[in-house]
Amino acid sequence: MKKNFRGLFFTPYVLWLAMFVIAPVALIFYYSFFDIHHNFTLSNYQEFFTSGTYLTMTANSVLYAFLITLFAILISYPMALVISKLKHRDLWILLVILPTWINLLLKAYAFIGLLSHDGLVNQLFQFFGLPIQHMLFTDSSFILVAAYIQIPFMILPIYNSLTDISGSYIRASRDLGATKWQTLTKVIIPMTMPGIKSGIQIVFIPSLSLFMLSRLIGGNKVITLGTAVEEHFLTTMNWGMGSTIGVVLIISMVIVMLLTNTKRKRRRA
Amino acid sequence: MEDKASKTGKIYITIVFLLLYIPIVYLILYSFSKGTTMTNFQGFSLKHYGELFADKRMLAIFLNTILIALLSSVCSTIIGTMGALAVHNAKRKHERETLLSLNSILLVSPDVIIGASFLIFFTALKLPLGFWSVLLSHIAFEIPIVLLLVLPRLDEMSPSMTNAAMDLGATPAQILSKIVLPYIQPGIIAGFFMAITYSLDDFAVTFFVTGNGFTTLSVEIYSRARQGISLEINALAGIMFIFSLILVGVYYLIETHNARNGRKKNLVEVTDR
Amino acid sequence: MSKTIVELKNVYKKYDDGFTALKNISFKLQEGEFYTLLGPSGCGKTTILQSIAGFTEVTSGQVLFDGKKINDIPANKRQLNTVFQDYALFPNMNVFDNVAFGLVVHNTKKEEIQTRVHDALKMVQLEQYANREIGELSGGQQQRIAIARAIVNRPKVLLLDEPLSALDAKLRKDMQYELRELQQDLGITFLFVTHDQEEALAMSDQIFVMNKGEILQKGSPVDIYDEPINHFVADFIGESNIIQGKMVEDYQVAFLGHQFECSDAGMRPNEPVEVVIRPEDLVITTPEKGKLQVKVDTQLFRGDYYEILAYDKAGNEWLIHSTNASTDDAIVGLTFSPDDMHIMRYNETEAKFNHRLESYED
Repeated sequence: MKKNFRGLFFTPYVLWLAMFVIAPVALIFYYSFFDIHHNFTLSNYQEFFTSGTYLTMTANSVLYAFLITLFAILISYPMALVISKLKHRDLWILLVILPTWINLLLKAYAFIGLLSHDGLVNQLFQFFGLPIQHMLFTDSSFILVAAYIQIPFMILPIYNSLTDISGSYIRASRDLGATKWQTLTKVIIPMTMPGIKSGIQIVFIPSLSLFMLSRLIGGNKVITLGTAVEEHFLTTMNWGMGSTIGVVLIISMVIVMLLTNTKRKRRRA
Repeated sequence: MEDKASKTGKIYITIVFLLLYIPIVYLILYSFSKGTTMTNFQGFSLKHYGELFADKRMLAIFLNTILIALLSSVCSTIIGTMGALAVHNAKRKHERETLLSLNSILLVSPDVIIGASFLIFFTALKLPLGFWSVLLSHIAFEIPIVLLLVLPRLDEMSPSMTNAAMDLGATPAQILSKIVLPYIQPGIIAGFFMAITYSLDDFAVTFFVTGNGFTTLSVEIYSRARQGISLEINALAGIMFIFSLILVGVYYLIETHNARNGRKKNLVEVTDR
Repeated sequence: MSKTIVELKNVYKKYDDGFTALKNISFKLQEGEFYTLLGPSGCGKTTILQSIAGFTEVTSGQVLFDGKKINDIPANKRQLNTVFQDYALFPNMNVFDNVAFGLVVHNTKKEEIQTRVHDALKMVQLEQYANREIGELSGGQQQRIAIARAIVNRPKVLLLDEPLSALDAKLRKDMQYELRELQQDLGITFLFVTHDQEEALAMSDQIFVMNKGEILQKGSPVDIYDEPINHFVADFIGESNIIQGKMVEDYQVAFLGHQFECSDAGMRPNEPVEVVIRPEDLVITTPEKGKLQVKVDTQLFRGDYYEILAYDKAGNEWLIHSTNASTDDAIVGLTFSPDDMHIMRYNETEAKFNHRLESYED
């Protein structure tokens, strides 16, 4: 039906796809082959894969993103599990969603206050007789804040996959003599793997490129792939190298997508 | 899921909820402090709110942000809905799948990649950075989420619905305006609101394509936060928090409304069998 | 003398993936008759309906309406209406607006819409429901609204795509009466699609039995029940015992080592055939009096009869409907009259089948 109408719907959307999806990605690949003087070259890639700085940076980025994701899962899974058993679970999950509606920069900014020399965390440390720590501008504070920001995005898909499990599976497992722990490890966790995988996608990929967090919280100690892209594009104006790092980011994104092959939706509700 | 939550479980989630909310409460609490730092609360005062409202530059940035959010959401809702119709009417399965994977690229890509690639794109087009580049970028990254919120409504619509309208003599235009659009309206509204929040929330993409003259709230917060603590930002956080609460409220109302309608329909289907 | 309103001539429907949904379909529908397309799911019956309604294009052949070819006329310009399996009522409109839709899109005057919607609702006995929302109606009521909506444009043909399949058994029986009455009151042609043979037998003037994209047999319900053309039709319509046999000569058939008198003729001597005996035509008697001896295996009480499953010595299964119970494991005799047997040839076309029947009947 609507043969004549199809073109009408198609055109604006396909135009958008061509201009804002295909063209920009193609341009990033194209620019990655040009040096700062606009000469065609492979030197960006050569530099990336031979320089110790870039390789350590990539390794660090992956390590940071891995730790952020790991902490997020460890905290989120029990959280989602308990919430899914609560009476007014819809309301509680709304409370998980709510912080995601607050601008990420404001949350990061709050941590500048919380983690500062005289901030709340150090006041608590003092109260318990612990020495004051310099927490701001360290890699652990970066991981802490990033995990804080990502936890709700990890809880949601896990929660959704938990609530999708029919109660009869749990009853069947218990009926067949499994303990609560066996039911959890042999029935519930395997059945919620899709939720965990999409949680990993939602958290891991952005964690590779949270340049604003590393700038605000990590200081100059934390340099991730994202920070490097921002630096090359907006400060040193070496777009070729920036694009090369961008291509590396895109490739690592594709790898993560393939490893956790379920659809990723960063949705709050 | 069965079983009741255990006591340990309840204690655990209480702690996590506290940790989730302490930074937010802390942030807003200090917007009411007389002092100038986020370390010692020095008595209640609204002076930072006063400063914020007196700040003409901030007001202009606020209006810019809202303008960008509304304009981009309207445009992206229209194009996204068209896209959903295009995907829904795709003749072959692989055509649909290709469109959907292309659609998801902007949802999946890290913000820096989107920002950097748009920056290259606008520069290649010789489009000056500023209001228009930010608006176009926002429209661009909002379209895929609108599509994803509208498409399920279209897909759950029984094909016999449009066949029935056609059978009774409706033209394609009448089918679209009288049957399809009313049916997918909840998805369109949800998409519109989600687009607004995406726009308000975005920092990274805007940061790349904004140039020098034009600023949105996120970018402004970033540059101020890099200079250190200013309780004016806390006051701004307070206002934006209330703004978010209103948006959440509206969005939640729409969602529960949709869900209730959906459930009503299911009930009918169940009782019929 | 009624005239032809819809005609299909050599219609084929092939899909891109190579699947052929319709193979050389030809038939005529007369004005004012109740027709049923009957067949298992995937047999192509809904495809026929959709090609008449205009929701799908046929690959080749002609679709004629009132003598004119309508292959290229879009669905919204065709003067026939459809009742859908899932009713397809518009959820954003109430009952009145749903029924009025076909009139509104044709720019009918307001007063006329009022009276015609009222009349249509009255036909389905729901005139007091005009202001209800669709979600407030039961399945049966939604069904009637779907019919009212389809007849408001006064089509000459109403197409019904398994409209009763979502209803429970009791409601379905009631609706069978109502649909038949409605068709007679309206005096228009109904083309009804179903996989339920009871429904087809109960309501239709004419049945088209379909399988794998072909029409196997057309005829009145009684003809099709009593004289199925082949194994598939015999098996699909009602329950039957089908045994392989041999036509010794006209009116003489042999199976299970015995020769029986029958009422069929026109085959070659000693031609292999299949013999159909309906379970209700088998009568249980003593082993001595029976034409056949079988051993009772299982019995199920079905309310108005016992369904008895038995086996003969050769291992063939026999299904018997009996008002009296039998005894498990008992050896019993079965009798039947020559008229209770129906003989089917292998691979006989419908034309030859009809011709053969005419040659010896009356």
